[in-house]
Amino acid sequence: MSLAIRPYYPDYSTVPTQHHFNPYADNGGSIVAIAGNDFVIIGADTRLSAGFSIYTREQNKLFSLSGTTVLGCSGCWCDTLTLTRILKSRMQMYQQEHNKVMSTEACAQMLSTMLYYKRFFPYYISNVLVGLDNEGKGCVYSYDPIGHCEKATYRAGGSAGALLQPLLDNQIGQKNMLNVKPESVTKERALSIIKDVFISAAERDIYTGDSISINIITKDGITQETFELRKD
Amino acid sequence: MFLTRSEYDRGVNTFSPEGRLFQVEYAIEAIKLGSTAIGISTSEGVVLAVEKRITSPLMEPTTIEKIVEVDKHIGCAFSGLMADSRTMIDRARVECQNHWFVYNENMSVESCAQAVSNLAIQFGDSDDDGAAMSRPFGVAILFAGIDEKGPQLYHMDPSGTFVQFDAKAIGSGSEGAQQSLQEVYHRSMTLEEATTAALTILKQVMEEKLNSSNVEVMTMTPKNLFHMFTKEQVEEALTNVFPAEHPTPIKVNKQKV
Amino acid sequence: MSVLCPEIPAPGFSFDNCRRNVMLENKGLVLPKATKTGTTIVGIIYKDGVILGADTRATEDTTVADKNCEKIHYIAPNMYCCGAGTAADTEMTTQMISSQLELHRLYTGRVVRVATANQLLKQYLFRYQGYVGAALVLGGVDTTGSHLYCIFPHGSSDQLHYTTMGSGSLAAMAVFESRWKPDMEEAEGVQLVRDAIAAGIFNDLGSGSNVDICIIRKGGNVDYKRTYDEANKKGQKQNSYKYQKGTTAVLTTKVVDVEEVTVRRIETEEMDTA
Repeated sequence: MSLAIRPYYPDYSTVPTQHHFNPYADNGGSIVAIAGNDFVIIGADTRLSAGFSIYTREQNKLFSLSGTTVLGCSGCWCDTLTLTRILKSRMQMYQQEHNKVMSTEACAQMLSTMLYYKRFFPYYISNVLVGLDNEGKGCVYSYDPIGHCEKATYRAGGSAGALLQPLLDNQIGQKNMLNVKPESVTKERALSIIKDVFISAAERDIYTGDSISINIITKDGITQETFELRKD
Repeated sequence: MFLTRSEYDRGVNTFSPEGRLFQVEYAIEAIKLGSTAIGISTSEGVVLAVEKRITSPLMEPTTIEKIVEVDKHIGCAFSGLMADSRTMIDRARVECQNHWFVYNENMSVESCAQAVSNLAIQFGDSDDDGAAMSRPFGVAILFAGIDEKGPQLYHMDPSGTFVQFDAKAIGSGSEGAQQSLQEVYHRSMTLEEATTAALTILKQVMEEKLNSSNVEVMTMTPKNLFHMFTKEQVEEALTNVFPAEHPTPIKVNKQKV
Repeated sequence: MSVLCPEIPAPGFSFDNCRRNVMLENKGLVLPKATKTGTTIVGIIYKDGVILGADTRATEDTTVADKNCEKIHYIAPNMYCCGAGTAADTEMTTQMISSQLELHRLYTGRVVRVATANQLLKQYLFRYQGYVGAALVLGGVDTTGSHLYCIFPHGSSDQLHYTTMGSGSLAAMAVFESRWKPDMEEAEGVQLVRDAIAAGIFNDLGSGSNVDICIIRKGGNVDYKRTYDEANKKGQKQNSYKYQKGTTAVLTTKVVDVEEVTVRRIETEEMDTA
């Protein structure tokens, strides 16, 4: 046999070994948000993990930016901490500079520009921003790590995002169904669907579990709720 | 020990013993040499009317711009050193665009005035950005705009101080004009009444006779936002306000080829 | 080299493909991923034999592939083996060694020894230089007593009184280190093994679902408790996800006429035993 295959001896490599520092961590976590005509609900699991270990089972990943706006973050936790702190200070600066609370739309646009500002060293976060618009209607904005912003009425993001989005498309978006009358989702149904999809996510995604924290935003303010999930 | 003015009016950042900044006060004086500008804010919208000084018949009147668009919802009128106003318009425009870019919403009139004010008070001090501004701007500005609070009018002087007004006059005829505005202004004024009042008062304080080339008018309503009167519209407005002096122009159908 | 004198292939296992695969991987080829049982498996020796334990989660990257898989494999009537690592490798390795041991038992007519199984397993794994990714905990009883081995994918093995393997091994070992002692009673031992597996299930993301336990008592009495403990209950859904009839779109319809079929019953006849 004369097929010259160069043997691979890692210990005798002829090229210099390059070691790369990886500045990112994936700490997992999932976000689900559903908007209705006069409310919006966002839920996030409370597990913070890395690799095969759990850092904590009770990490809140929802950040209320104003009385009508909440941001859900999952991905690299250290980036989340930095981004949310900068966001909070930007919200305060805006309020002091312009003598008004930033609207959900303005906040959505600002987050987009803040993410794109770090286009070549991005915040490694899956962001879902929810809130009430100036008319009091619920709205959901989802982002990629470098600032692409998409307005929607429901959204799943984070480690189980790909698992849950098709389920929401069917249950909320009424996609791929015949003979269904289009109806807007009620607050009660949205809340129960969020709980149910997280039960399913915890079954199959190892980074989703322990419990979920839920924020329900209406014109009367933000109410919080928790719901237990499996812990393995 | 009394010191004369002249010893304290050299530096822009030196207070006099009485606590006055003479250079700033002189700058405010410079406004009084400028042409008159009037702004009135009503519940329907805002109107700006300014005098343009045509100092020579050989001058092209359209090249004097005393009312400018800052954004679709904010317009400005100036009096004083026009060259200085350019820098301030640029700042106002950039700030409005940046606000739209970052927040996807219109900048409020007050915030716009604040932003220009930040530029106006940078005189005298040098910082990391570069060379110092040697003197205050010799310009007074009327910001007319519409934001979520409705139609609004702000006035800013060379010291960077800005105050909201229902009606305000700046420039050489401002003292008399302000007095007249106080008499004629009332809360339920319509925009048309305001336009008429502005032109009437402008006529009172102007040396020249009003015509479509020595006056500029702008209105702003929530529907149409920034609207600069064309020459024809100015003529029409003048005819309505002063029918005796401005007879309806005879319409001539010109042949076109 | 010619037709008359063909090349004689080098004896032993050829690693050419392993090197080729590394080369291709370095050039950017994405190799297919095998199901890994990121696992917690444990074993202890107690007074009257051996107790093995395992969780039941199988994962593919970050997704749970099997929520209730079996990781305690049969080797011989007196021996079982827990497997962690590449699912296919643990499955096939234990099956193959099991069949070899059965042949050995038939040939010798004796109860096979745990040491023999250990030797076969480690020699097999060593041959494949770690490319057969099986990490095993082998436990059993024979004429010489109770034995527990832990075998690594490269072919080394340890004989121990208590051991853990898999991604949850540290969590489980923490439990053993604090509570294991020689000559434990069976109930106490089972509880310890359950707690060790539970530690893996809850604290290691690669392990999950239920606890399986296998007790091998001296004398060859085996008690395989599949789903000894359901450590995690699935959440209760709040909504019904049943669809109305007609919700799914019918894209095409094709009707095939079936010829009339008659079914004839045939009476069974008594076999003629005369």
